[in-house]
Amino acid sequence: MELYTIIFYVFAVITLGAAAIVVFSRNIVRAAFALLFAFFGVAGIYVFLLADFIAVTQLLIYVGGITVLVLFGVMLTNRQVSVDIKTGTMQTLPAVILTSALAGTLIGIFWSTDWRVTAQPLASETTASALGELLLGPYVLPFEVASMVLMVALVGAAMVARREKKPS
Amino acid sequence: MTAVLEYFSNIFHALYTVVVGMRITVRHLFTTSVTIQYPTVKAKIPERARNRLYVNIDDCIGCDQCSMACPVDCITIETVKSTPDIDLGLTSKNTKKRLYVSRFDIDIAKCCYCGLCVYPCPTECIVMTDVYEFSEFDRNNLIYHFSNMTGDEIASARARLKKFDEEQAAKKAAAAAAAAAAKATAPAPAPPPPAAPAAPAVPERPKPDPSTPSA
Amino acid sequence: MDSLYAFLSQPLVLSVLLGAIPLVFIIVYALVVLYMEMKVAAHIQDRLAYMRTGWHGVLQPFADMLKLLQKEDVVPVQADQFLFRVAPYVVFAGTYAAYAVLPFSSIYVGANLNLGVFFLIAVSSLVVAGILMAGWASNNKWAIFGGLRSAAQMISYEIPTALSIVVATMIAGSLNLQDVTRFQDGGIQNWIVFGGTLPLTQKLLILPFTLITFVILFVASVAEVNRTPFDLPEAESELVQGFNTEYSGMRFAMFYLAEYANLFLVSAVAVSLFLGGWSSPFGSFLSGPVWGIFWFVMKAMVFVFMQIWIRWTLPRLRVDQLLYTSWKVLTPWLFACIVAIGFILVA
Ligand code: SF4
Ligand code: SF4
Repeated sequence: MELYTIIFYVFAVITLGAAAIVVFSRNIVRAAFALLFAFFGVAGIYVFLLADFIAVTQLLIYVGGITVLVLFGVMLTNRQVSVDIKTGTMQTLPAVILTSALAGTLIGIFWSTDWRVTAQPLASETTASALGELLLGPYVLPFEVASMVLMVALVGAAMVARREKKPS
Repeated sequence: MTAVLEYFSNIFHALYTVVVGMRITVRHLFTTSVTIQYPTVKAKIPERARNRLYVNIDDCIGCDQCSMACPVDCITIETVKSTPDIDLGLTSKNTKKRLYVSRFDIDIAKCCYCGLCVYPCPTECIVMTDVYEFSEFDRNNLIYHFSNMTGDEIASARARLKKFDEEQAAKKAAAAAAAAAAKATAPAPAPPPPAAPAAPAVPERPKPDPSTPSA
Repeated sequence: MDSLYAFLSQPLVLSVLLGAIPLVFIIVYALVVLYMEMKVAAHIQDRLAYMRTGWHGVLQPFADMLKLLQKEDVVPVQADQFLFRVAPYVVFAGTYAAYAVLPFSSIYVGANLNLGVFFLIAVSSLVVAGILMAGWASNNKWAIFGGLRSAAQMISYEIPTALSIVVATMIAGSLNLQDVTRFQDGGIQNWIVFGGTLPLTQKLLILPFTLITFVILFVASVAEVNRTPFDLPEAESELVQGFNTEYSGMRFAMFYLAEYANLFLVSAVAVSLFLGGWSSPFGSFLSGPVWGIFWFVMKAMVFVFMQIWIRWTLPRLRVDQLLYTSWKVLTPWLFACIVAIGFILVA
């Protein structure tokens, strides 16, 4: 258990440190890369929660997909080669209100949850098959709706990006 | 409809051409390679290939034609005239040698292997060989000295020439003086011949001898 | 001796040691494949490649490695120092993490994860991030274009790869590569590319679809490792060396190692999913844990060889051709295969 505690703290430090860099870095590309490590750390923590499927999905979607797309966007839209892609602080008041509301909610949930502590090691069987059965069983409708939404977004993006063919 | 057809035919062509290409490359994988393993195996040099120059100094008459033909001026020739009492011998083409070739340097580092120096040589003593490996660590080693005269020999040849010239000049002067004396005693005052025609007194740069048979 | 044994059998030490096995393998393999690539390339072009270092130049990879190790590690002044330095390690870490789930033999797999291949796809995405990082941190136009191309390419080709893995998973019923391999054990007729252990009629029905899927997986994995004809991120003739233009010495060697490790990785995944992994093609003949390693590595090396062969055959694609291939050919065909195979399996 010692070892796992150490590993947990390693992941926690990775996550929080990277998140701090995301917030405080003046350089947006660096922030994006830090975000990657933050997601990575979170994936590690999911593993500790025995949510292996979520952990891997986190890696796949957030690290491999979303961060890369964010970086892609930043690099394509800004002057790439110089390092003057900077972030700044603006809209302080709304930001403070929103973030403190969010933080309050999270802490509230944290306190009100009944965290169960057990002495036995938890069964470390995969959650993938159970999740699959749930998603294609009782939750098939929300699942399909979500995929429709994504599909629409995809088609919309393709429409926006498409160049109109000139009638020749 | 045509678009659909095109789509499938594109896929087919892509796969088909990949297979064709891979068949070609795999065939080449097993053909004997054309590499010549250079330092151990050497390619045959074509017959008239132009590589390192060689000068057969025994045949060189010091005519300087090669040096003048060279576009990059990498041949340096110095000569010393010989005196009539010395026979420098004949070249292998039976041309009489009249000049000591005291210096014949080719800076092979500058040479562009154009071969232009080879053609004018009347005795065919400067030739292209098939040696192409002559790299050096010191660039000065690429200046080839072909003259076989030692410093002493050059000095003595110079001294002899100088003595001979002086003797000739003295003889000329004596002859002139004698002629003048003879003229003076003669009754008809004929205009004295100018002292100038002492033609061979000044050693001129030798012109290529037109009488030399070129073959 | 006893204390040594006790030290070695501590779980932490043991897991570090077991985890290092693939690393040793990668290094040895990289030397072999370096030699192989040069030789195959040369012979395809009717040349001989290195001949002077040892017998037929077999020592040349060692010489190359030593050269890279002792070279100066140049970091450009205008580069983003930190990211520039970590990028090669991120790339290699992504590749190496994926080795954890490769079943080298029936008794050895780094981590017997139930999510096996899914994990593998997920961590390989670190490679994309690392390449982008290298490209951006180099502060060099070639490098950044290489990085961007690489990201676009790897993200698009992850989809066909993942979908073809889905096909194998559907047939074998597991994401764990070890289980998938065990499912195919018992001879060549049980390999998933030939329909797995289904009854004969189903097998014949499923065969064309699994073959198509396998071809698609192969194409997609060539693209995943950024090799010719999909080597746009490196594209010497346009981008110098792409994202690793500015790298030298050890860090460059790291990228190189990661590239070759990736080459083996995708081949090994294809082999484990479709060609029986460590199981012998002759049923119980020549099978067993040690032969398992032999079969696994040999099968994967055949595909490594194929990729080298393709590299020296085909010219580079254009970007639009690359994306066309992924989105309009491979992906739709795979969807069709998945649907068909699903029907066959359920029916
Ligand atoms: S080969 Fe050409 S460059 Fe060389 S010495 Fe002769 S004339 Fe000069
Ligand atoms: S042309 Fe021939 S004979 Fe004349 S100087 Fe040159 S090498 Fe000697």
